[in-house]
Amino acid sequence: MNDFLLGHYNYWMFIGLMMIGFYAMMAKKNLIKKIIGMNIFQSAIILFYISTAAKRGGVSVPILEHATGGHGAHGIDVTHYANPLPHVLMLTAIVVMVATLGVAVAVTLLIYKRYNTLEEDEILKKIRKGKLPPKELIEV
Amino acid sequence: MKIFSLISAIVVGLALIYGTMDMPEWGDPQSPASTHVSPYYLEHSLEHAATPNVVTTVLADYRGYDTLGETTVIFTAGVAVVLLLRNRRKRREENHE
Repeated sequence: MNDFLLGHYNYWMFIGLMMIGFYAMMAKKNLIKKIIGMNIFQSAIILFYISTAAKRGGVSVPILEHATGGHGAHGIDVTHYANPLPHVLMLTAIVVMVATLGVAVAVTLLIYKRYNTLEEDEILKKIRKGKLPPKELIEV
Repeated sequence: MKIFSLISAIVVGLALIYGTMDMPEWGDPQSPASTHVSPYYLEHSLEHAATPNVVTTVLADYRGYDTLGETTVIFTAGVAVVLLLRNRRKRREENHE
């Protein structure tokens, strides 16, 4: 039972972090706080993948040590190097994370210009009242 | 409304924790993620690409098309941001005329 806890508590940490982000996305009224929640969510997924790359027992980063010796693939022991594949996949995921963050912040900027607020309930109230400045009068 | 969000976050979290019961232990060298294709990459990257850094080899050689798609994602996001932020400026210039 103790071994099971020690072997799996990393997953539970990331699930906790992920649910913090999930709750922020759902419950917070401020749009910037929602975006921060989305980033926490994505960071938790990235940490989860990186943790699956780890191997126990004197494992180093996936950079081959025999590269300069010219021996080719002979001396490579797979269990001496961390799994490179999750690292690569998470590089791609970080790029996607930055792209979504950029688009989200741009849309939020436009919302702020049109409604003069970032609070979700105030924006909904203004939409329901129908008292909005015409699009042409919005200053940058 | 907030209580619904809290309840659904807890329910999803518990479902995910239930899912981790079958996961391999942390740092297990024999986990499925470490025994399928990654040994092939580690063993052959030096002779195929002559690069000691395996992450670089996988990113740019074995999965180069993935990286190409990644640049497409960044390009699309950049175009989207430019289009979103450029329209307003045009309108302002028309107003000043």
